[in-house]
Amino acid sequence: MDVPATDVHQHLWPEGLLQLLARRTVAPRLRREDRDWILELAGEPPAVLDLAAHDPAERARRAAADGLDRIVVAPSTPLGIEALPVREAQPLLDAFHAGVLELGAPYALWGSVPLAACGPAEVDALLDAGAAGLCLPAEALGGPEALRRTAPVLERLAERDAPLLVHPGCAAGDTALPAWWPAMTEYVATMQAAWLAWAEWGRAAHPGLKVVWAMLAGGAPLQAERLGARGGPAAAVHDERSWYDVSSYGPKAVDAMLRVVGVDRLVLGSDRPVVEPPSLATLGPAVREAVTRTNPAALLGSPRGLTP
Amino acid sequence: MRELAGTPDEWAHLVEHRPDARTYAELRRDEHVGIWLICWMNDHDTGYHDHDLSSGAVAVTAGAVREERLVLGGAPAARTVAAGDSFTFGAGDIHRVSHAGAEPAVTIHAYSPPLWRMGSYEVLPTGELRRWSLSYAEELRPIGA
Repeated sequence: MDVPATDVHQHLWPEGLLQLLARRTVAPRLRREDRDWILELAGEPPAVLDLAAHDPAERARRAAADGLDRIVVAPSTPLGIEALPVREAQPLLDAFHAGVLELGAPYALWGSVPLAACGPAEVDALLDAGAAGLCLPAEALGGPEALRRTAPVLERLAERDAPLLVHPGCAAGDTALPAWWPAMTEYVATMQAAWLAWAEWGRAAHPGLKVVWAMLAGGAPLQAERLGARGGPAAAVHDERSWYDVSSYGPKAVDAMLRVVGVDRLVLGSDRPVVEPPSLATLGPAVREAVTRTNPAALLGSPRGLTP
Repeated sequence: MRELAGTPDEWAHLVEHRPDARTYAELRRDEHVGIWLICWMNDHDTGYHDHDLSSGAVAVTAGAVREERLVLGGAPAARTVAAGDSFTFGAGDIHRVSHAGAEPAVTIHAYSPPLWRMGSYEVLPTGELRRWSLSYAEELRPIGA
């Protein structure tokens, strides 16, 4: 096979990023508690970090066992690094970028920028360094004002024919709630808002930009009938420059999505190590071929780090 | 669909004949209809299948294809459809379509609602019929196409 089987959405925290997080005194940070490392985030309960889950060799082994040739590593936007002041955010993002790029194959990189200072120059620097594209938190596209702020970045990405990954951002949740709460409420709501804003304003402003939506865009395209009934841009489900990663969803939701947007729009994004990806085997070998090979190739082209 | 079949400027660049397998291109997709271009040669054959909830129509723009409807205990009801002609099927129909003649064929298929799932029929040596439920990707986005 000359088209690599690709997982477009995993998270991996390189050594350099872990060290910087451990030096911080406020969230997001890592703190030592006896023999454990505790991850503290602003909107989520403290949790023990499984360092083994971020071992690149073990992760690559698991990907190979699943028949995958390439892993595109996304920034963990729920950490909230992008929203920090630039002087705090930039060293953390630099450590993330450098750590992933140093790994080389099978790893490739979604770059990330501090939201307070992102422009075309930052996009160029990331792509020139070898990033496959840029990842933005959903909030950065969540409405007309947000889209106006992000426009220079999106324009440069489109000019360079590099894709955008839209990923849920930092939850402002209540730490008394269960760990899954943000994933089922704020993540879904912000992804849906970003997708709807893209349908209403973003796509018209950036007709050429390739966009991949994490977690099936929170299921936003499944709301198309309701969107149409309320006078909204329901035809956006047929946008040929949008893809949807299946992260955290199983065969039922993916099949429902396939019916709305077609198989050509779906890509494998496992979200490892956050979740273990459900099997999509019941959808059949042709769906797997489309989701792991054909569609990621159309989305990512052949940037550095993605050619076998 | 007939209109699209009559305007080859819109799809002629997508025509590609491969000896080992049919080739497929999606021409249009909206809420109500999915339209596909399929290129045939060398007796390419779909095998018996249904289209679950989708009805459809096929316009032949080059060459010819043969449609066979499954008939229990008898020879299939067959017809050959050549360039310029078309045929339709309902969601409940079980048929197979194969390339006919020496010249490569080009067909345009409209499915409404857009094809989603299909049934593929295997005829066992005992004559029993076995149905396999498939995503439409098996038909229109097969591996290696």
